[in-house]
Amino acid sequence: MTGLRAASLGVPFEPVPGFRDTNLPATADFRTVKDPWTGEEIYVVPALRPRWAILHVQEADAAGNARIFGSPGYDVLMAQAADEVILTVERIIPSSELARMPELTRISELSVAAVVEVPGGARPGDCAGCYDIDEAGVRRYLDAAGTREGLRTYLESTP
Amino acid sequence: MPELMAVALARLVRDGEVACHGVNSLLPSLALALARRLHAPRLRHVSIGGGLDGTPGTIPRSSSGPAWLTGSPVVLSNVDVYQLALRGRIDVMLLGCVQVDGRGRVNSTVIGDFARPRVRLPGGGGAAVLFQVVRRVIVYRTRHDQASLVPAVDFVTATGNLDRLVTPLGVFRATPAGLRLEALQPGATLAEVTRRTGFTVEPLPELATLAPPTPAELAALEALDPDRLRDLDFR
Repeated sequence: MTGLRAASLGVPFEPVPGFRDTNLPATADFRTVKDPWTGEEIYVVPALRPRWAILHVQEADAAGNARIFGSPGYDVLMAQAADEVILTVERIIPSSELARMPELTRISELSVAAVVEVPGGARPGDCAGCYDIDEAGVRRYLDAAGTREGLRTYLESTP
Repeated sequence: MPELMAVALARLVRDGEVACHGVNSLLPSLALALARRLHAPRLRHVSIGGGLDGTPGTIPRSSSGPAWLTGSPVVLSNVDVYQLALRGRIDVMLLGCVQVDGRGRVNSTVIGDFARPRVRLPGGGGAAVLFQVVRRVIVYRTRHDQASLVPAVDFVTATGNLDRLVTPLGVFRATPAGLRLEALQPGATLAEVTRRTGFTVEPLPELATLAPPTPAELAALEALDPDRLRDLDFR
């Protein structure tokens, strides 16, 4: 999250409390800097700037203004951090409908490169208000994804 | 055994605290719901799925899914939840782990060497930070054996404000000198805990045995989890 936030702010790194006496910083090349005012050491995490963020949302207009119902997770932050955003959408709705309650729009078209209407696009995961997690579907995916061939068959046979 | 663990966890959270848990946390979500029904009606339950004091009726299998949004006055993003913690607004966190050592360090990253692990685990999911910004961290492990409670963890995923470690055999309290056995689960003995623990077990002078789950606690568990989803973590 910290790396994405740094990217979203256009800065090269962001400080974050914690990590002291753990083995994680070494594995990810997190380093410490001195607080210029107090001299205290704090870990910094390098910016994590994805080329693409592919986000599935419940409703958006064709321009890419998106509503997210249920927990937005990290979606808004990912949209802010990535170079380009592709939205997959349960249903495309008219912009005029968004304009009636614009405060429900969480991602704006200004950062969206493409919108694709894909009903069921989060399956076998859940999509709040649309469908719950499909446990059998997750199991099928896990069983198939162990091998390259299995994954290909799964992708070709899954709508 | 799931009852003992859920009840022991529930009793450790206090009325009025703000509590959170991560993903795949059926037992913590059950324990918090149980505490809210019994001794801690003003406990605040922040689910990583974004709910505040969610009331799904019976607990859902997914502790991060939208079911915990039922009855919540707000939807918190994951970013919101982390920022609450970073700002010091989370009092207590309930967290599972794979390994824990006598110094109270937790591993949920790898078994074996990091570069060539024998088993790659799900990872800490922010625990390295949360352990140092949340006031009290209560860690649990549903198995009490020498592979889980080890002399030194293979990898330090998180360390810091550990408060308690809860297992099917007992409760350890974190002290400046390391973990100390504070209580035995009903039916467990000090000898058994010592035999099944990989680090040296040092009991506190006031070592006690936890009171068995009360009829009220058992009834609340049944009401919250009639399908016994709590057994899933113990298979």
